[in-house]
Amino acid sequence: MPGVTEFSVQGARRYDHRSALRWIISHIGRYKLFALLTLGCYTLAWLVYARAPVVIGQAAQEIIRPTSPSGLLTVALTVLGLLLTDGLMMLVGSMSGEHVASKLAADAREELYISLLGKSQAFHDRQRVGDIMARATDDVNQLSSMVTPGASLSFEMIMGLVVPLVYIGLLRAELLAVPLAFVVSYIILVRRYMRVLNPISRSQRDQFGRLNADLEETIAGIEVVKASAQEPFERRKYRASARQLRDYFVQQGHVEARYLPLLVYGFALGLLLLHALLLYQRGQIGVAEVIGAVGLMNLLRFPTFISVFSFSMLQLGIASAERILQIIRSDTGIDENAGGYAQPLAGAIAFEGVSFGYDITERSNVETFERSNVLTDISFTAQPGQTIAIVGQTGSGKSALTQLVNRTYDASAGRVLIDGVDVRAWSLQSLRSQIAKIEQDVFLFSRTIGENIAFGAPDASQAQIEQAARDAQAHDFIVSFPDGYQTMVGERGVMLSGGQRQRIALARAFLNSPRILILDDSTSAIDSATEDQIQRAIRQAQQGRTTLLITHRLAQIRWADQILVLDQGRLVASGTHDQLLRTSAHYRRIFARYDVDLPPLEIEDCGLQIADVAS
Amino acid sequence: MGFLMDGLDSEAYDRAYTDRQLVARILGYFRPQGPKMLVVALAVVLTSLVDTGVPIVISRSLDRLQLDPAAAGLLGLGGFVMLLGAAAWALNAARQWLSAEAVGDVVLQMREDAFDAVMQRDLSFYDAFASGKVVSRVNSDTHAFSQVITLTIDLLSRLLLIVLLIAYLFVVSARLTLILLVLAPLIVLAALSFRAIARTTITASRRISASVSAHIQETISGIGVAKAFRREQSIFAEFLEVNEQSFLVTRRTRFVYSSIFPVLNILAGIGTAALVYFGGLTVRAGDLSAGQWFLFIQGLALFWFPLTSIASFWSQFQIGLAAGERVFALIDAEPRVVQTGAAPLPALRGEIEFEGVWFHYDERAGGKETGSQGDQEMTDEVPNSPPPTPNSPPWVLRDFNLHIRAGETLALVGHTGSGKSSIGKLIARFYEFQGGRLTIDGHDIRAIDLAGYRARLGIVTQSPFLFDGTVLENIRYGRPEASDAEVAQVARAVGGGDWIASLPLGLATEVGERGGGLSMGQRQIVALARVLLQDPAIVILDEATASIDPLTETLIQEGLDVVLEHRTAIVIAHRLSTVRHADRIIVLRQGAIIEQGSHGELLAGGGHYAELYNTYFRHQSLEYIERAPLLA
Repeated sequence: MPGVTEFSVQGARRYDHRSALRWIISHIGRYKLFALLTLGCYTLAWLVYARAPVVIGQAAQEIIRPTSPSGLLTVALTVLGLLLTDGLMMLVGSMSGEHVASKLAADAREELYISLLGKSQAFHDRQRVGDIMARATDDVNQLSSMVTPGASLSFEMIMGLVVPLVYIGLLRAELLAVPLAFVVSYIILVRRYMRVLNPISRSQRDQFGRLNADLEETIAGIEVVKASAQEPFERRKYRASARQLRDYFVQQGHVEARYLPLLVYGFALGLLLLHALLLYQRGQIGVAEVIGAVGLMNLLRFPTFISVFSFSMLQLGIASAERILQIIRSDTGIDENAGGYAQPLAGAIAFEGVSFGYDITERSNVETFERSNVLTDISFTAQPGQTIAIVGQTGSGKSALTQLVNRTYDASAGRVLIDGVDVRAWSLQSLRSQIAKIEQDVFLFSRTIGENIAFGAPDASQAQIEQAARDAQAHDFIVSFPDGYQTMVGERGVMLSGGQRQRIALARAFLNSPRILILDDSTSAIDSATEDQIQRAIRQAQQGRTTLLITHRLAQIRWADQILVLDQGRLVASGTHDQLLRTSAHYRRIFARYDVDLPPLEIEDCGLQIADVAS
Repeated sequence: MGFLMDGLDSEAYDRAYTDRQLVARILGYFRPQGPKMLVVALAVVLTSLVDTGVPIVISRSLDRLQLDPAAAGLLGLGGFVMLLGAAAWALNAARQWLSAEAVGDVVLQMREDAFDAVMQRDLSFYDAFASGKVVSRVNSDTHAFSQVITLTIDLLSRLLLIVLLIAYLFVVSARLTLILLVLAPLIVLAALSFRAIARTTITASRRISASVSAHIQETISGIGVAKAFRREQSIFAEFLEVNEQSFLVTRRTRFVYSSIFPVLNILAGIGTAALVYFGGLTVRAGDLSAGQWFLFIQGLALFWFPLTSIASFWSQFQIGLAAGERVFALIDAEPRVVQTGAAPLPALRGEIEFEGVWFHYDERAGGKETGSQGDQEMTDEVPNSPPPTPNSPPWVLRDFNLHIRAGETLALVGHTGSGKSSIGKLIARFYEFQGGRLTIDGHDIRAIDLAGYRARLGIVTQSPFLFDGTVLENIRYGRPEASDAEVAQVARAVGGGDWIASLPLGLATEVGERGGGLSMGQRQIVALARVLLQDPAIVILDEATASIDPLTETLIQEGLDVVLEHRTAIVIAHRLSTVRHADRIIVLRQGAIIEQGSHGELLAGGGHYAELYNTYFRHQSLEYIERAPLLA
């Protein structure tokens, strides 16, 4: 596995990651005996199952010309014995195959999960959870379906073709002519059939997806549709799309209707009968062989029916394996640097000509955005204990800037220094453990509020937890719940507002007392009383630590020690509130709406006209 | 049918159809397909006849040959089997070919009807039902319903085959047929009992896979927190536990499923052996020919497989019918907003008058009013005039009167549930009101040409919705005939020149799904430009309560100034700057106007407005910002 993981399990099994197929085989290899048992049972099952028509042929012979008084009974019991053995072998073989399939699913999921825990934060920031979920559930299930029924049916299909052919050949070699010709033409025809069918069914699936997406969009935007009186337009759009889907559906029906292997099978059955009868007429074979051959030919119906299905299961399984492997293999990017600089952190931050761009290969689905720098040539310094407010529109690079501080990402040019030491020289563990980050969407686990606060300090006492909650202005609302600190969070518990979640996260951070706090504070307070509490909590958080604040609250921005104004990845202005009112047209614009007299603008900054501000 | 009904969520607009109604509806959709379906039915019958014919011919030829090994016409027999094979294939092809066309057309028709029904619904419908569920009714349930048809055709052909074969066999030998007939219910019974077992295990299996998903979902979503606090090991231990559970349950389910066929095979094996023996005895007794004996053995192989699929037919059939029922319920639900006329409006001035309007939301968008949640406190305040409906629904507006002058900027303020949003929605005619009159330029809103009216109505919401496409296409959405130059002009008017320049490809920039490729501010500007291009006479603005960064906020406010200028504007106000600049503020409480005037007058009055100000607007004021450090 390339790169360095942040989590590994002692003695975890290593699998072959070179290709999807090798990976699957190395997984199945753990259960070699079960896999072999399945193959053995299935082989035996087909050997006895296909024997039955031959024995039935002998029974016919026995009926017409009895050899011994108990002959018929013996033959009938033989048929019974064969078919019972077949059933039992299939049962044992299937069970053992299902065991392998279920184990494979559990093992693959475990391997994926371990690798997910080991990925860097950078990886998780880029990867959508929905996407990971799809791989951990749908793809893992597809993988086990690839074993059973996919591989097991494929094996049965081969047995179902080979064994009857062998038995027919044993009856009389000449009889093989028709079945062999059938098998060959069958293979050719099925391949051609799949080539025609596959693109149509793919188009149909895609079109169905489009129909759903379009309708979803129309309904989500129904207010706009209705308010602009555009219902007829939407109707035309939907009808055209639904008709296209209907056309694909009918086209597929037409292709399926012309499934030629079935016709060839019908012919083959007639021809084989004819052939057998001719041989019989010439006295070259007896009744037993005629009946046996027809019975064996009947068996060939089964493989012709299941081949398309079992092959597609195999294909889907390989595709799923590739998707899972893609995650497991992907590089985590940043190394731990365990032997790096590890000291108590004071909290000085310095950016020296920092530029940064996300690795574009990971988000290739957004094609409209070209590879461009998210941050360009950023320089500033923050003294320990200062509060730095970062202001800018969505996409201006605010989050990226903070992600460079705790080394979620590395700068592509320039240096980021913490206490005068390049972050790349710090031990990642030491650096991150002294920096706390509170995201815009605070994540809380489905546990009690108390456990969530103590998440990073499992040994914290109830008194410590409550003190942290008090400092974060969270205590009052927590005790207002009937279960207090024992209140469950999430689906089955209480739904917390954004502001409440944020204050719980602050309490969680207080218990760890980090030296640098990164706070992405974009929650809104609907009412002034809540706003008061949030203001107090943040003020408490700022005490004695360097705070990087992404915030929408003017009351926070106004009083920050330093304000950084970002625009499309560039630092267009920095300074205190009073300085910026005089130097930045960008910044003035915010306060221009407050009907107050602003100090005169001294320097004009990039591209903005004073006229804009005046209007 | 317990778990089969799981996930078939019922919605408020669902109704129960009697079987007769349902069949009549289904037949109605198939009527245009009459000739095709007739041919399909014919093909089904003929296919069954031919399929029965093949083993019979084989057995006959065996007998013929045995009587006289030198018999002529062997070629004919072989040829006949081939001919039958070809006929079966051709008939089957015709059946599939035509039924694909018929089913495709029926589904298309149902989808169009369902879509039209959805478009006719007013907004209360969309409020009540998640878009995903509606989409699944229109697109997926129609498809699921079509399976019923294919399934039924399949079943009929199989049943027919079995019936024909059994009838023939019965004529040949009643005694041997009885062996088959004893076996048939055994096979069906075995298949059914497996389904019963499978049902319980699959429920458990779904539950466990849901909890595996939930665990992964939660821990991966919270991975940042787990990493920050180094708690990976304990999370992994939890995972191992659910994963092992899931393994055990999944394996059990798979065991059940994979044992079905071997067990059925064993049953069929017993039957075959019995036929071999007892059939053989019958032949020896001279009551049966060897060919006929072989026919019985082939017959068993021919029909045991269809029998197992008959066992599963009923539940699949039910699922399909239920899907059909859901689609019909969607189509049949009655629209709530009904126009009594379509008088075209001359140039709209934008004067609005509410005259004694009564309004409440339906609890059940489907129609039936339950009125169970009558708000006691509110009903006490209902004045003497009798409410239009006998029971007491929670009135949002009660005998509401308001005159809005053309060109006026009106701010509506009040607590949640005071009725301020409803006023805007009634003006847009998104909902039906229950009593009184609402006039636009003096015309009753119920009798005007709605499409023409809405074309001159601008609605700005907190979360602007953009369609997948370019910025240009989105701005043009409300007025498809506008030229590129006009679009560019409104875009500049709303957002200034540097806004367009900041887009990678200017107005040709793709906005991404739901506008995801643009920032919130850019999306708002696009939405504002879209409204401005419509040149509305009336603008309804539902102000954002969500937090926006101050730079974007400023950008949007500046854009709004342009859009609201010289138009009648009704603002559901959440911003201090809006109420301060409004021509008139309407203070609402429980659906009634209790104060009105300008910001200064109302604040000085010290009434409900002053209270609202202290609750919602105080922290937006410059004074608050300037005095923030004093808080702690």
